[in-house]
Amino acid sequence: MLKRLSMTVLAACLALPAGALAEDLDGLTPEQLLPIAKKEGSVTVFSLSSRIAKIEKAFEGAYPGVDLIGLDMSSTKQIARVEAEQQAGVHAVDVLYIADTPVVFSKLVKENRVVNYVPPRIAGELEDRYKTPLLTQRLSTKVLMYNEKAFPDGAPITNLWQLTEPEWQGRVLMVDPSQRGELLDLLTEISLHSDEMAAAYKALYGKDIVVEDGLEGAGDQFIKALFENDLILLPNSDVLNKSIGDVDAKNPPVGFGTYSDRRDNEKEGWALQVANDVAPANGILFPAVLTIADKAPHPAAARLLIDFMFGDDSPTGGPGFEPFNVPGDYAVRKSIADAADSVKLADLKAWTIDLAKTAAARGRVADLIITLQ
Amino acid sequence: MTSTSLLAPSGSRLLRSGFLLPAALVVIVAVLVVAPLARILLTTLTPEGMAAWKAVLASRLSANLWWWPLLDTMVLGFAVAGGCLLIGGFLAWLVVLTDVPGRRILGLMGSLPYMIPSFAAALAWGTLFRNSRLGGSAGFFETNGLAIPDWLAWGLVPTAIVLVAHYYSLAYTIIAAALGSVGADLVEAGQMAGAKRPRIFFGIVLPVVTPALVAAASLTFAGAVANFAAPALLGLPVRMQTLSTRLFGMIETGQNERGFVLALLLIVVSALFLFLSDRLVSGRRAFITVTGKGGRTKRFPLGAWRWPLFALAVLIGLLTTVLPVLVLAASSLAPQSGALFSNWTLHFWIGEGGGEIAQGQAGIFRNPVLIDALWTTIRLGLVVAFTTMVLGLALAYTIVQRKGTLLATVLSQLAFLPLLVPSIAFAAAYIALYGAPIGPLPSLYGTFALLVIAASAHNLPFAVQSGRSVLGQISADIEESARLTGASLVRRLFAIVFPLAIRGLFAGAILVFVKMVRDLSLVVLLFTATSPVLSMVAYRYAVEGFMQFANAITLVILVVCLAASFLAHSLQNRVQKWKES
Repeated sequence: MLKRLSMTVLAACLALPAGALAEDLDGLTPEQLLPIAKKEGSVTVFSLSSRIAKIEKAFEGAYPGVDLIGLDMSSTKQIARVEAEQQAGVHAVDVLYIADTPVVFSKLVKENRVVNYVPPRIAGELEDRYKTPLLTQRLSTKVLMYNEKAFPDGAPITNLWQLTEPEWQGRVLMVDPSQRGELLDLLTEISLHSDEMAAAYKALYGKDIVVEDGLEGAGDQFIKALFENDLILLPNSDVLNKSIGDVDAKNPPVGFGTYSDRRDNEKEGWALQVANDVAPANGILFPAVLTIADKAPHPAAARLLIDFMFGDDSPTGGPGFEPFNVPGDYAVRKSIADAADSVKLADLKAWTIDLAKTAAARGRVADLIITLQ
Repeated sequence: MTSTSLLAPSGSRLLRSGFLLPAALVVIVAVLVVAPLARILLTTLTPEGMAAWKAVLASRLSANLWWWPLLDTMVLGFAVAGGCLLIGGFLAWLVVLTDVPGRRILGLMGSLPYMIPSFAAALAWGTLFRNSRLGGSAGFFETNGLAIPDWLAWGLVPTAIVLVAHYYSLAYTIIAAALGSVGADLVEAGQMAGAKRPRIFFGIVLPVVTPALVAAASLTFAGAVANFAAPALLGLPVRMQTLSTRLFGMIETGQNERGFVLALLLIVVSALFLFLSDRLVSGRRAFITVTGKGGRTKRFPLGAWRWPLFALAVLIGLLTTVLPVLVLAASSLAPQSGALFSNWTLHFWIGEGGGEIAQGQAGIFRNPVLIDALWTTIRLGLVVAFTTMVLGLALAYTIVQRKGTLLATVLSQLAFLPLLVPSIAFAAAYIALYGAPIGPLPSLYGTFALLVIAASAHNLPFAVQSGRSVLGQISADIEESARLTGASLVRRLFAIVFPLAIRGLFAGAILVFVKMVRDLSLVVLLFTATSPVLSMVAYRYAVEGFMQFANAITLVILVVCLAASFLAHSLQNRVQKWKES
């Protein structure tokens, strides 16, 4: 006890000069971080979700003396702001809670504008892919959704290639992938899984797929066929959910949406359901990550906050995670249980995006989409 | 106008008014507008940037990335500018120059649509015209058995109509301010000379307000080409892309260089059109109508046309003002966003939290952040409107005084550009440029000052355009008399120019205020205080999927804008007592 106390005091004294010691902070427990964080006094976080307001209350309740300043901002704006600030030599933000990870990877990770930190308390519990190059806090989805009231016998789609058939002409919706990063990531993932797309083609039609010149594989061929089958592009997911999910719809379309939006079914009069049994996959799982800005002014408080946002050991994750624990999104901590009435993470037939690979292939797919429009 | 060269000025006067003001303005415009633009340009001269230029202009992508969106954008820009001039001009003429009944109400309705966000008008269109292309519930007409073809439900036509419905009030505001200065003496002189009414209109009124028409046309054109919400909501389902949707998409998907290249090209194309319209105005003689005497306005009797024209104006108001406001109001009351007119509840306004509705969130008036945000918003709007107007007045004054010179042309061009620069690029350039200390000047990062400076620069076009249109009509005689009696520039500005031009200035100030209060992008990037502005609160609710709260706040914003506009009207009437009749 005495030894730990003296270590804490020592750490506190050492932390004062600067963040040069940031790496030493990485090994500390929350109890050891707290006194240093209190000296720092506050922590500033940019958050993609306004639910950061709930975290603020919980965090300040758990660690009085450390003021959380939360600003909600879209991922794109966070990236623009951090880039501009660091170019001006300003280091004002500590923690980024951000999605759009392929862009984060190429613009912030590769340029050393952020540093990765994995809280030792939960490090052992996470799979490696959730720990590098960025620390994943939870997973969201862009998966094939359908109307369970109009199709009571289950999803009308069991193979992605069906979406390119005449029956589904003008009846597949998605938010414009040239407007929103997650949808571009989805198509990139399809392009990257060309072998599986080719196998799914063969499974459906019993013959090998012929890929046109100029396209890189079955994935690209699928994207082209989808656009040529009058894929309908939308400005936002609100319109998408209404169009697919309307309980009164007679012959509703299907589309790529967010699984967790299903929680609004009752409130909005929707019948959204995920089409899970789809070959080769029904869409993607993509991460929301927590990362520390380079030369963060409050390095200990930043680590304390990230640790806090992984929740406690209870099945709901406690006050640090609960605000983000919605059915259809998935915690990466194994101790936090998936919601009872949604598909378990292990059973969801979605690809989890690979940051480095997606970041590398994204530009090519973006160009392909532009030519198809 | 030759006023500045009328007298051979003494050295000190030359320094004081002839040289100092323009020089200061050149520096200010360089710092506020040229520097951020140059920075954006520089980021496109890196290797990635050069690749982006090539991709946009000369690759297999160019057609869909640049040429088609450019065509759509220009068609939209011209259609909207034309439509706005027609409708805004018609209403302004009706309200200011005729004896149509209910002028106050008509005037109010005419100035409202710009205060309503354009997405509300697009939603209203969808409520009526949505067809079965997207599935889901159809709009009003299809539900009632009237098939709506795709071209009327989606794409260029509905986008143009919705944008005209949104921006005509901008044209109305500017043209009405200019018409207000067409003195009775001019019209009476025409009547005494035996001119018929059309002749008076086309021979006197129209030429006099030409600068205002050009100002209105350029601002509505710029507004239309930069608008994102309407083309995204109505255009994407039929794959119509404009430069603004392309630009937004490029930045949103992390392809910033391409986005910047598109923005720069858009600026060049628009500047070209602006230059041509500038030529158009400078090529003709200026008409000086504000002479400080006989300022009373003369109203045309409409005779038998009084009520039909009134009905037409009311119809326009109903469709463009009442309908979108109704849609907004209904969607702040309806628990289900799909069924706007059933199960209304006041929960989203005043409900206590903890219930079943809205995941237990309380109504907006029980949100402690709201009052804070309200004050921050109003303060920001007022400060930015004030600084922008001061700067805009000085710029407009110089541009008008030196009409035809290179200086005036360059200044007026530069002052117009910020409207076309995407907010996110503008804000990022500001942080990078002025976030670090420059010499003895401290870093402006995170200060209210930086936000005000950036916002003033971004909104400069409104101030300059509306200022110009009115200043252009003010007689040089009065100012010269004052100059001869030894009044300083500042004194002349405040005692003569300001009171005479107040209508136009306030018209501009209102536009800036409204833009500031509604606009999110600039604020979110430059504002670091935890006390948010209203639009940020609305954004928070919207990203959580609570459109009812977001729409309720949009209505609050509308009320704030209306209040500001009333305040400006009563102030300007107090200053221009001679107008009362």
